[in-house]
Amino acid sequence: MRILCLIKQASEPESRFDLQQGRLLLRQPLRAKMSSYDEYALEAALGFKDAMPDTQLTALTLGPPACDAVLQRALGMGADQAVRLDDQDGVVTRPLAVASAMAAWAGSQGFDLILAGVMSEDAMQGAVGPMLAELLDLPLVTGAVELALGPDDASLVIQREMEGGLRQEVTLPLPAMVTINSGQSQPRYPTLSKLLKAKQTPPVVVEPAAPDPPREVVIETGLPGKTRAGLVLEGDTASKASQLLALLRERALL
Amino acid sequence: MSQTFSGPVVAVAEHVKGRLSPVSLELAACARELASALGSQARLMVLAEGVEPLAHEAARLTGLAVIGVEVAGLSHFSGEAYRRLLSDLLPGWSPCCVLAAHTTSGLEWAPGLSVRLGGAFISGVESWRMDEDGPVFGRTTHHGKLVDQVQAQALPMVLTVQPGSFTAPEQSPERPGPVEIISHDMPPCRARVRPVLEKPERDAALGAASVVVAAGRGVGQQENLEPLRRLAGLFSNAALAGSRPVCDLGWLGYGQQVGLTGSTVSPRLYLACGISGARQHTVGMQGAGFIVAINSDPRAAIFNLADVCVVEDLHAFIPTLLELAAGPPNSPD
Repeated sequence: MRILCLIKQASEPESRFDLQQGRLLLRQPLRAKMSSYDEYALEAALGFKDAMPDTQLTALTLGPPACDAVLQRALGMGADQAVRLDDQDGVVTRPLAVASAMAAWAGSQGFDLILAGVMSEDAMQGAVGPMLAELLDLPLVTGAVELALGPDDASLVIQREMEGGLRQEVTLPLPAMVTINSGQSQPRYPTLSKLLKAKQTPPVVVEPAAPDPPREVVIETGLPGKTRAGLVLEGDTASKASQLLALLRERALL
Repeated sequence: MSQTFSGPVVAVAEHVKGRLSPVSLELAACARELASALGSQARLMVLAEGVEPLAHEAARLTGLAVIGVEVAGLSHFSGEAYRRLLSDLLPGWSPCCVLAAHTTSGLEWAPGLSVRLGGAFISGVESWRMDEDGPVFGRTTHHGKLVDQVQAQALPMVLTVQPGSFTAPEQSPERPGPVEIISHDMPPCRARVRPVLEKPERDAALGAASVVVAAGRGVGQQENLEPLRRLAGLFSNAALAGSRPVCDLGWLGYGQQVGLTGSTVSPRLYLACGISGARQHTVGMQGAGFIVAINSDPRAAIFNLADVCVVEDLHAFIPTLLELAAGPPNSPD
């Protein structure tokens, strides 16, 4: 089986953001890592590779050279090959532009299965995978938590998770596109030997076609407003703890 | 850019097991607001096999004009079927705006539909406002820390609407909306879908608790749940809950998960411990009576919806809190 896994480098949730005149500043100095849902997608792909060692797993990202770090991590976890669609200036961010660039490259490669995280940890749009499925005319399941190869080896039996803890089983013929939600199969850590090997195998760098004009545009980025009082307790740890207890007792909550 | 928004705003209802999902009523409310601001009409579309009762329920609960699409063979949700049906049907109405729920199911058809219709796609919409070029949609990113204001450059605008962001009116409208039933063939689909199942383990105590102590990724280690358990023990009717990452790690059962893919709770008191405040979690607890957030990151999004914010490391704060709570009530602080 040939599997493609889409990987995004995302800023860490704990990163600090600076805003100036409605624009997010200084993307590069943000601490970056592999978007966690993509780690789960890679783990799902590696599960197939564990069971069927002849599986070929390719990790694909789009971004500037700094994104090679997440590709190295993917190789360290067990991917066989890494490909980066080069976006030197980090300007290709709209989901359709990313999906189009990925479709143009992946369409001719004959993958049996394309996996991606259910959304990225930073932009949280959940759109690249579904758009790629549309562009490549692949059947799609979103939010999968379990995957297994069907008895005929030509289909995939998928458990997808829905809202409020509901589940649905879907069978897709291969080739197919599946987006993965986090679940109980925790992503494995890279091994040292694979990481060392990864450092010597730079990713294949591909020049993507220029993106189409965007169909939507972010006109401003800001901080969310507060929906409640948000009383910030001041003082040392013990003082904050006693203030909190007093507040809870005052409201007869304790 | 000049665009006209005369086409209707079409919300596509979500339903499971023959019942409209609560988010469908929120979509209807959002569609009504948007249509009113754009000077166009709001429509609610329901797709199903045996659609008539659902369509009438939707019309009764929302008062909107409902289009029920009868599709023989569409007995369970299928994103592929929705994508194909809607790309066949919607151009006939020339909608300016198509609303889907920002759910696993909505994300299975809305992004692809926008590609197919040549429209814009705006994901996870939580708010909107008008400016001179038309509507501007607000959506949070980075675990709720930032808000992007997004404007469409193409029509139709296909939006996924974040559950819990728009409020359905508490009372049903006086008159049901008009219902139109049309039929359409089931499109060829490659996906074979099975009926939707409940997950077996639902935590009964969580739904009934008047106090919820919730653990997020910030607890760091499983053994750090113990002080939170003891914190819950201070209250007479409290339950321990977790965000999705904590349940994925197996530290708590999925029945104890609060959020979009878990339970929605509205206790009198919600103590959010080490929770970042991403929408997938907050949608499940934003209705709590009083919210206390404890997080070491002063910029965590959870503080935006907390009544009381405690910027502290859990490992220092919770034991101190427990110690003080156990002390004599009149001890000097």
